[in-house]
Amino acid sequence: MDLTNTPLSTELERKIDEAIGRYPPDHKRSAAMPLLHLWQEEFGFISDDGVRWIAAKLELQPINILELVTFYPMYRQAPAGKKHVRVCRTLSCAMAGSYQVMEKLREAMREDKNYSVEFVECLASCGTAPVCMVGDELHENVGPERALDLFTRPPSRATRHSPHPLECRLIFENIGRADYTTDIDCYLRHGGYEDLKKAVTMSRTEIVNAVKTSGLRGRGGAGFPCGLKWSFIKPDEKKPVYLICNADESEPGTFKDRYIIHEDPHQLLEGILISCFALNAKTAYIYIRGEFPEGAKILERAIEEARAHNFLGHNMLGTGFDVEVYVHRGAGAYICGEETGLIESLEGKRAYPRIKPPYFPAVLGLYMCPTIVNNVETLCHVKHIVALGGGAYAQLGRPNNTGTRVVCVSGDVQRPGYFEIEVGSVTMGQIIYDMAGGPRYGRMVKAVIPGGSSAKVLRADERFKLKVKQADGSMAEQDISLFEIPMDFDSLAAAGSMAGSGGVIVLDETRDMVWTLNNINEFYAHESCGQCTPCREGSLWMKKITDRMLLGGGVVQDPDTLKTVADNIAGRTICAFGEACAWPTQSFVEKFRSEFTQRSQKPAPPPLPPELTSENLIAERTISVTPLAHDPGWETAGTSGMI
Amino acid sequence: MGNGRNVGHDLNMPNESAPQLLNVQINGVWHQFPKGTRVIEACEQVGSYVPRYCYHKKLSSPGNCRMCLIEMGMPKMGPDRKPELGDDGMPRVYWMPRPQISCAQDVSEGMGIRTDSPLAQECRRGVMEFLLINHPLDCPICDQAGECRLQEFSVEYGAAESRFLENKVKKPKNVELGPRVTLDDERCILCSRCIRFCQEIAHDDVLGFVDRGSHTVLTAHSGKRLENNYSLNTVDICPVGALTSTDFRFQMRVWFLRETKSFCTSCATGCNTIIGTREDVIYRQTPRENDAVNSSWMCDYGRLNFGFLQSENRLLQPQVFSGDKLIAADWNTAILGATAQLKHFSGSEIAILASARMTNEEMWLTAEFARLLGVELIEVVPRTGPGDDILLSRDLNPNTSGALLLGLTREPGARLREIRDGILTGRIKGLVALGENAIDLGLTVDQIKTLPAFTVMNILANEAIAAATAVLPSFGFAEKRGSMINGKGRLQRLNRAVRGPGQARDDWEILRDLIQSYSGRNGIYTIEEVFRQMSAAVPQLAGLSLSKISDLGVQVLHVEPISPPESTGVKIEAQTLESEKAGR
Repeated sequence: MDLTNTPLSTELERKIDEAIGRYPPDHKRSAAMPLLHLWQEEFGFISDDGVRWIAAKLELQPINILELVTFYPMYRQAPAGKKHVRVCRTLSCAMAGSYQVMEKLREAMREDKNYSVEFVECLASCGTAPVCMVGDELHENVGPERALDLFTRPPSRATRHSPHPLECRLIFENIGRADYTTDIDCYLRHGGYEDLKKAVTMSRTEIVNAVKTSGLRGRGGAGFPCGLKWSFIKPDEKKPVYLICNADESEPGTFKDRYIIHEDPHQLLEGILISCFALNAKTAYIYIRGEFPEGAKILERAIEEARAHNFLGHNMLGTGFDVEVYVHRGAGAYICGEETGLIESLEGKRAYPRIKPPYFPAVLGLYMCPTIVNNVETLCHVKHIVALGGGAYAQLGRPNNTGTRVVCVSGDVQRPGYFEIEVGSVTMGQIIYDMAGGPRYGRMVKAVIPGGSSAKVLRADERFKLKVKQADGSMAEQDISLFEIPMDFDSLAAAGSMAGSGGVIVLDETRDMVWTLNNINEFYAHESCGQCTPCREGSLWMKKITDRMLLGGGVVQDPDTLKTVADNIAGRTICAFGEACAWPTQSFVEKFRSEFTQRSQKPAPPPLPPELTSENLIAERTISVTPLAHDPGWETAGTSGMI
Repeated sequence: MGNGRNVGHDLNMPNESAPQLLNVQINGVWHQFPKGTRVIEACEQVGSYVPRYCYHKKLSSPGNCRMCLIEMGMPKMGPDRKPELGDDGMPRVYWMPRPQISCAQDVSEGMGIRTDSPLAQECRRGVMEFLLINHPLDCPICDQAGECRLQEFSVEYGAAESRFLENKVKKPKNVELGPRVTLDDERCILCSRCIRFCQEIAHDDVLGFVDRGSHTVLTAHSGKRLENNYSLNTVDICPVGALTSTDFRFQMRVWFLRETKSFCTSCATGCNTIIGTREDVIYRQTPRENDAVNSSWMCDYGRLNFGFLQSENRLLQPQVFSGDKLIAADWNTAILGATAQLKHFSGSEIAILASARMTNEEMWLTAEFARLLGVELIEVVPRTGPGDDILLSRDLNPNTSGALLLGLTREPGARLREIRDGILTGRIKGLVALGENAIDLGLTVDQIKTLPAFTVMNILANEAIAAATAVLPSFGFAEKRGSMINGKGRLQRLNRAVRGPGQARDDWEILRDLIQSYSGRNGIYTIEEVFRQMSAAVPQLAGLSLSKISDLGVQVLHVEPISPPESTGVKIEAQTLESEKAGR
C-alpha cells in the first residue's frame, strides 16, 4: 500500500492486518482505534500521514480518523518526550497532592526536551493516590516529596493487606495474594474453569434463570438487574448477539476492575465465556480503558491460554459452540463507560452516546445487533452464580441487594483500598472506620461521596430517614446517621445518593468544598463528549464559575447560578452523564451552602470587570495554564477577530 | 388497530388499506395520526410547533440539541393490562417524570404530549441559555440574522439578561470549508445537520467534529474539502449563522430580499426554488421543498447559475441589418425587418434552431410560427452532462419534455446536421436561432454569414451575432412567466422575480409579434391566452391554465425520464459558472 511517506515495517503491517481481522469484514471501521494505537506505538504520535493512511486502509475518509484522534486524549498529534509522564489530577489524587507533584515535575523538566508531562483524568488507582504513569508503567503513591524519584526507581507496588474480618471475599478471593499469579495454571490449580465446564452442561435458559434468581444487579453504576437485562435477548434471535465487557473503569473513586483485570484475568474470562454461552453470543469484546496497557496485555495472554485449553475458540469444550473473545483498547475517554457511547467507540466512532429509544443495546446495539454490555465485576459474579446456584447466591446480601460487591475507599482515610463485602451487611461507618482505618489522626470526616464522584455527596452530620425491615417483617422508618447507612443500592438511594460504582471518597474537615467541587467540575467539563447541548455547555460553565470563585471572583449569584445550571442539565441530556455532572454541583451547593456563600460575597458586577477576565489572571499566574491532555488551545492562543 | 389497546373503536375503524390511525393527546386535545408519524411532526400538524435545531425531517435524528424536549406520557394500564379510561372515554395518561425529545419517537396509541407545559418551557429556556452563553451574539453583522433560529426562539425562550460572567470559548473563524462555503465555528451550535447532510444526501462524508466537549469544532480534513455539488445545502439547513455561502455573504440583509417562487432551469430536474431579489438584482437562489421533484435540496451548479442574467454581455437593444451593418432599431422596426428578411424565402429554405430551454408557451408559438412560414426543418439543441444519482440530470436542458410534447423535436439534436448541411450547401437561406448559438451547429461565423437572413433571439451576445440580420434581445428564466415540463413529466411554472434589462422583451411577446407581423393577424394579448390555446390542442395539458399550475407543479406526463442522446456531433457548451460570474 503506497499511501504514505512513512515507511511501515512488515511487523506493523502484520499487526494491523491482525487487528482488522478482529472485527466483522463489513465493520472494518471498528479497527480504527486499534490501528491508531499501533501507529502511535510505532511512531510516537499520529501524523497527518497516519490519519490518511489509516483512513485509506479502512476505506474511510480522513475526517473520520481525525475525529477520533482529537476525541480520545491518549492519541497525540505531536511527539511527546522520550519519557512521557501522565499525572492524575482527579479528586483522590489531587487530594493526595498530585498538583504539587505536577509542579515539581515541571520545575525539574523545564529545560529537558527528553521529558514531557501532562495532567490526565482519573487513572483508576485512587486507593494508591497520587499516581502517575511513566510511559505505560503505573507508579503508585507518588507523593510530592517523591515525585522526582519517578525516573530512577522501579514502580512501587502498594502494600496489600489481608482481608478484613468484615469482608466476604468471592470475587477478590485471590486478589492481593503474593502467591497468586495471572497464568492459567495458577487459575486451574485454584479450581478455575470448573464453573464453565458446569455451565456448558446446563441449558441456556437455566443459566439465565439462575442469574435472574440470584438478583444480581449491575456493578458498573446504574445497578440494573442483570438477569432482566439478559432476558431482553430473544432465545431464538436470528441476528448475531454480542457480549461486551465494559472494562472502561473510569468513574473517579473506583478502582476495583483494575485489580480483577491485572491480578485475576481468568476469573473475568470465565465469567465472560459463561455469559457468552448463556446468551448465545459468539463474539465478545472486552472494551478496556486505554490507561490499562498492562491489563490489555494480560487479558490477551489469558485469552490465548484459554484457547490452548479449548475454553474458547472453535467448538468450545466439545459443545459445538464457537466463541471468540477480543480485547479492544479505549483511549482515555470517560464517556466510553456509558454503554451506548462504548458501542459507538467500538464501532470506530466518537463515543457519542445514542438516544434511547430507539437504540437500546439489547435490540439495536453493536452493529445494530442485540448486545449485552456488562461491567467487569458483574461478569465475574456470573461465574459465582453458576458455582453457587442462583438461589444460594441470593442468600448473600439483602433482598434486592444480593451478593457481594467490591467497595473502593479513597481520599482522607488511613488505609484506602478495596473491600469486598456482602451487600448491605456493612455500614458506611464500618467501611470508613473499621476497614479503611478512619480519617487521619485528629481529623474528622466532613463528607462522603459514596458511589464514585458523580454520586451526590453526603454530609457527615446528616440524618437520614430510612425504611428498615424489622424482625417481624414489618417496615419501620428509622432515623439514622451517615455512618449507620448500610452499604447497599436501596439504602444509599433512599439517603438521596447512590451506590453507583462502589467508589467511596472520604473528605475530612480540612477540605474546602468549593475546591473539591471545582476539581470534580473540571473532570466533567473535560470528559463531556460535547454531543448534546446541556451537558456540553453546562459542564464547562459550572467549572468556570467554581474556577472564578476559587480565585476570589465569586459574586452573590454564584451559588444560585450553579444550582440552576445543574438543574438545567440533569434529566435533559442524551445519556446519564448529565446527571453525573449535575449531581455533584447540586449536592455540594445544597449541603455546603455556607461555604459557597462565603466565597461569593461580591455584588454582581456589570459585565466582566477587568479583574475577572481570565487573561489577566493568567498573566498574574493565578490560573495555571498547564495543558490538560487535548486542550485544543483556542483559549490561550487567541484567534484573529475576523468573522 | 387490533392490538388490544384500541380504546377509540367507535372513533376509528380503519379499513384494511388505510394507514392505521393512532389516537394521540396533544395539549389536552385528542387527535389522530397515521402510524409512523414523528411526534414533532404530529405536534406541528396540529399547530403546536416544537422548536428544534438538530432535527430535520429529511435527515436522521441524533437528538443532540435538546430543544424539542416535551412532556410525554403513555396510557395508564389497569390491572387487566388494558388502558384505564377517563371520563371522556379516552385513556388516562401516565406522564413520564422526565422530559422527552419529540424528534426521535413516533406517536403511539394513547400517547399524551404537552408541548407548552411549565416543564417543557423551562427546558427550552435552559437549552436556549446554554446555546447562547458561548455564542458570539454578533447578529448585527451576521448573514443569518433575520432567518436565524437562535434569534427566532430567543424571542420566545430567551432571557433579556445574561447570567454568564465568564469568557466565551474561542474558536476558529472565517474558515473556508470549500470553494463555496465559509464557516464561523463560534456561531456553530454543533447540531450536526451539515455532517448528516453530507453523509446521507450528498454521499460525501467530508465534514466532522474535532476536539471534545465545549471545545468541539466543525471542520473538514485539510486534504478533502467541502466541494461537492451539493455543498450549499449545508448553508440552507444550518439553523444559525455558522455556515455561510461565500457567494452571498455580506451581500444583502435577508429581510430586504423579495422572495419569488420559481424553479431551476439548469437541468431537466427543475428543482423548485426561491429567488431572492432586491430592486431587480438577484442575490441568491435557494431550494424550495417539493417532494415530487427535489425534496429540500438543489445542486450548487443550478443554484449559482443566475449571474448571467446580470452579465455585461446581455443583449439590451433590438438590431436589424440595414445597408451593410447591424444598427439599433426600435422593436417595431426590428420585427418588421426580421419578417421582411424571411419573406424572401419559401418554408423549405428556412430552418429554425429552437431551444429546449424555452418555455412551453414559447415553444407553442415557435411551432405556430414555423407552420406560418411553412418551415419543416426545426430542431432543438441537446445538452448533456454526466449527471449524478442525486438531483442533477444528465439532460441539462430544462424543457426537453416540452419540446417533445409540442413537436419541436422527435429526438433532440437529430436534425442539427441537416440544418448545418443545408446552410453549407446553400439550400437553407434563412435561419431563426431562438435562444441558441448557431456556432453550436459546428459552423464558423463566416459560414453563417453566407445566410441571407439570420434572425437571432437570445439573452447574451455571442460570436454568431456578427452574422445576424436581426437581433431580438429576450428575457432570462427569472425575468419571465411561463411553464416547462421537467424530465419526469411535471409541469412547473416560472414566475417573474426581476424585470428584464434594457429593451429586452419577454420571449413569447417577441414570437407573437413575429407571427402577427408575418400573418397580419391580431389576437393574443396575454401569456394565459397562449397557454389556453395550447391546452385546448394538447390533450396532456387539457383543463389546465397557467395560473392553475400550483407552486409545486402538476404531473402531466407519465414518462420515463428522458435520456438525451449520447452524441450528436454537435459541441455543447452549457453556460458555465465562470462566465456568469462576470455580471456580478
